[in-house]
Amino acid sequence: MPPVTDSSSAPGQERPKIDTTVPHSARIWNYWIGGKDNYPVDRAAGDQVIATFPDITRMARSARAFLMRAVRYLVAEAAMRQFLDIGTGLPTANNTHQVAQAIAPESRIVYVDNDPLVLVHARALLTSTAEGACDYIDADVREPEKILAGAAKTLDFTKPVAIMLLGILGQIPDSDHPQSIIKRLFDAVPSGSYLAFGDSANTSEAYNEAIRNYNQHSAYPYNLRSPEQITGFFDGLELVEPGIVPVTRWRPEATPFGDAGEVPGLGGVGRKP
Amino acid sequence: MVAGQARNGASTRAYTPEAAERALAGARWGPTAVRIALGAQLRRLRETTNITREEAAEAIRATHSKISRLERGRSGAKQRDVADLLSLYGVSDETEREELLALARQANAPGWWRQYTDILPRWFEFYVGLERAASVIRSYEVQFVHGLMQTEDYARAVVLIANAHAPAAETDRRVSVRMRRQQLLTQPGAPELWAVLDEAALRRPVGGPTVMRAQLRHLLEVIELPNVTLQIVPFRAGAHAAAGGPFTILRFPGPDVPDVVYLEQLNSALYLGQPDAVIDYMTVMNQLCVQAETGTVSRDMLGALLKQA
Repeated sequence: MPPVTDSSSAPGQERPKIDTTVPHSARIWNYWIGGKDNYPVDRAAGDQVIATFPDITRMARSARAFLMRAVRYLVAEAAMRQFLDIGTGLPTANNTHQVAQAIAPESRIVYVDNDPLVLVHARALLTSTAEGACDYIDADVREPEKILAGAAKTLDFTKPVAIMLLGILGQIPDSDHPQSIIKRLFDAVPSGSYLAFGDSANTSEAYNEAIRNYNQHSAYPYNLRSPEQITGFFDGLELVEPGIVPVTRWRPEATPFGDAGEVPGLGGVGRKP
Repeated sequence: MVAGQARNGASTRAYTPEAAERALAGARWGPTAVRIALGAQLRRLRETTNITREEAAEAIRATHSKISRLERGRSGAKQRDVADLLSLYGVSDETEREELLALARQANAPGWWRQYTDILPRWFEFYVGLERAASVIRSYEVQFVHGLMQTEDYARAVVLIANAHAPAAETDRRVSVRMRRQQLLTQPGAPELWAVLDEAALRRPVGGPTVMRAQLRHLLEVIELPNVTLQIVPFRAGAHAAAGGPFTILRFPGPDVPDVVYLEQLNSALYLGQPDAVIDYMTVMNQLCVQAETGTVSRDMLGALLKQA
């Protein structure tokens, strides 16, 4: 058995309920990438966005492809072996530990999410190689100290850590200071650590409108950020080439379908000097 | 009943594979589930790349009616043909290619269980085929340990409950089917087995205390496999999500292949493939997984139960 510690489960604790009557972001996302772990309410909410911005499904898949390329870069070229993946989402093909451990089986990954459905899926389906480790933390991205304390059971914070924030900070309003979340996380990791960041941007009028409509009906509004705000998230970090770009343009791989085009989602990778 | 658990030898009247397939038809399943799955995928890929059946046929040196049969799941296909079609359709992602090629392999491989047709009812044979094609097997059991996690002695005790007067040789064969099914878990490309088990099943000494202790020890070993998760629903959880009986949800590779719910009854089985029905069971299963102890805590519980047993 891989050394799985389970930092966030205590026997007999109060169990959350899964609410299938209101749409949930992880399940809507799962619907957009063609997954099977979504409910009619999630599909209805997802379809509402598709109606205004049909490209959302391509954008969602592009974001997963960006995750794969970013993790491959971090393992193969930046020699990262420790990952803190905050905002895991429902498992799909090519999750962080699978991509990392395919290259370096000893890689150690901590997944963080606050959705109970995501957590049970992650614990059951995102399991480590024998050489590496996976752990799962039930926490909100707004609690960096709790995340860091839990992750310290699996990750060695005296060594560089790759922190991944993909499609998660958009769920945090400006009033909760997303930039300070990144700062607090990076204060805890040594020089040579990396940030892999990707999120929706306000660069497409159709997408802006789709998200405005979505937010009117959602208990958890999504916050589209400007390219300047997203650039600000990398303050104090050295961006690796090609900088902050539409996720489809970040070190794209040749495909028989040609250019993947633009999407209103920006991503980049930065190194703590 | 449990997935393939109890009365393997009971009457075959109620559910034939044809009836099971009809039940699945609403979800676009056909004569053999895996072929249909593969065919549906190939058709979708061909259509999204605007390639005609004739063009596809030419690429694999066949006729357009062969492509048509393939896409409807009426015939299997050689690995090489499927590989050529995937290239023609521009599928370059290795993961996606491998998923579809795995389906092609499964669609062609003769089932090992064919040699047991004398004791396996056809409704259960169909399950064995589906189980083998699955990428994720999620089960909820109340009374017995899941068939894929049983020891030989425990399995024998369960078989004898339903077939107490069967000749010894027949009992042996029934047990050997179950043992053979378990090889699935350690094969290359093995499915994920994600089992939820009521604490009652672990406290009921099926086969007597010695057999049960060995079964608990075996569970502690099986859950070491990276593709196996066991979550126990403790008594103190009180009334929980699964007011009904045990059930199994099978998930298959490929985005267009729907999940199937398997419900085993006394002498027949139900295969639910309609999206509405599957959603209801998925909701209950997910709620059970949230209510049950995590895999790590469940492992500790197993250790404690073994000490008491």
